[in-house]
Amino acid sequence: MCGTCGCQNTTMAGTLDHDGGHDGGHDGGHDAEHEHVGADGRRFTHVHHHPHGHARGRAEGDDHPHDHPHDHPHDHPHDHPHDAGHTHDHLATGDLHGAHRHVAPALTPVANRITLSLEARLLAKNDALAVRNRAWFSGRAILALNFVSSPGSGKTSLLVRTIRDLRPARAIYVIEGDQETSRDADRIREAGAPAVQLNTGTGCHLEADMIARGVDELRPAVGGLVLIENVGNLVCPAMFDLGERAKVAILSVTEGEDKPLKYPHMFRAAELVLLNKIDLLPYVEFDVAAAIANAKQVNPALTVLCVSARTGEGLPAWYTWIDEQAHRARAGARLVPVSTGQYPPQWF
Amino acid sequence: MHELGITRNIVAIVGEAAAGRRVVRITLEIGTQAGIAADAIAFCFDVVARGTAVEGAVLDIVPRAGLELSIKTMEIEEAR
Repeated sequence: MCGTCGCQNTTMAGTLDHDGGHDGGHDGGHDAEHEHVGADGRRFTHVHHHPHGHARGRAEGDDHPHDHPHDHPHDHPHDHPHDAGHTHDHLATGDLHGAHRHVAPALTPVANRITLSLEARLLAKNDALAVRNRAWFSGRAILALNFVSSPGSGKTSLLVRTIRDLRPARAIYVIEGDQETSRDADRIREAGAPAVQLNTGTGCHLEADMIARGVDELRPAVGGLVLIENVGNLVCPAMFDLGERAKVAILSVTEGEDKPLKYPHMFRAAELVLLNKIDLLPYVEFDVAAAIANAKQVNPALTVLCVSARTGEGLPAWYTWIDEQAHRARAGARLVPVSTGQYPPQWF
Repeated sequence: MHELGITRNIVAIVGEAAAGRRVVRITLEIGTQAGIAADAIAFCFDVVARGTAVEGAVLDIVPRAGLELSIKTMEIEEAR
């Protein structure tokens, strides 16, 4: 095998001591052009200048495949990085391509390597699908909100309470994300809203294609409210756009007030923070002012509302926020309610 | 945990672009605000790459500012 181009060549069998093991053992020489055919069918043509003659105990005229140290100018580029376990020295022979000699501890076939520019954004596929979801929601004046929090902050309880308070005046649909079980979707359906449960299995977040599938199943009405409950996780859901109008982060007073500082990506990605379980404030050491200051430190544009899904305290402000967002969604879709309160039929 | 999915994306995108050729090096840029742990990507890369055109490739991760998260270049062995 040729250590220069990695090809197999029967006439060169047993060659390839590029370490210069024959230097000084040969004299005389010849120029020989020959072609190698690689194992993969590639052809390489080399012009070798072989200094040889057979000293070192070999009889002259001996018919044997012999080993050449061949410093050869050749017609294929050797544009490879030196991480293949060998080095080579370039010889200033003045030929076109730069003859060089390989010094290889182990003869590693080296093919031509080229570097291609890819510039591939890793989340491009998800982002493209999210754009499609957003357009779909926007065209139907649907307000889609993505609820994110750590597990146990009260996302589902808050959704159940919101559904009970706002239905039937508002059409509400819920997409539930959990690793396993349909427990959350069951609670939502019990509260009276159509829900689809997405189980992510080992996945730690929802992705845009899952939302497209969920929406396919839910078929939300024009002007409706689609509430997406992400997997309880303050890390990964921050970076996956689902096509929602806004991310709503939920923080509860049984957690630490420094959570926005510890998980800044999520609080930076959110537009609204609902500080939940404020009915428990008398029983826990939680500094509301510090929590709000921390949240605004990582995202000065945040709106923070203090609520209790259990007692209903503070929820009117949350419902007002939903109304404002829903109004913007309608304006975005250029849907102007007619006097009957119905939307133009072409949108149904 | 999402780094595993991201790494699968890297291997899939590069494998597709390689079109059957062996990939020897990949250069990845990860922004400090991208929410991605470079160590975790490097950790699962070998496992994810096993049995693909990307197996054995060197993964260079270049830190960047901001939200950058992309594969900049790949080096392949080119047949003539």
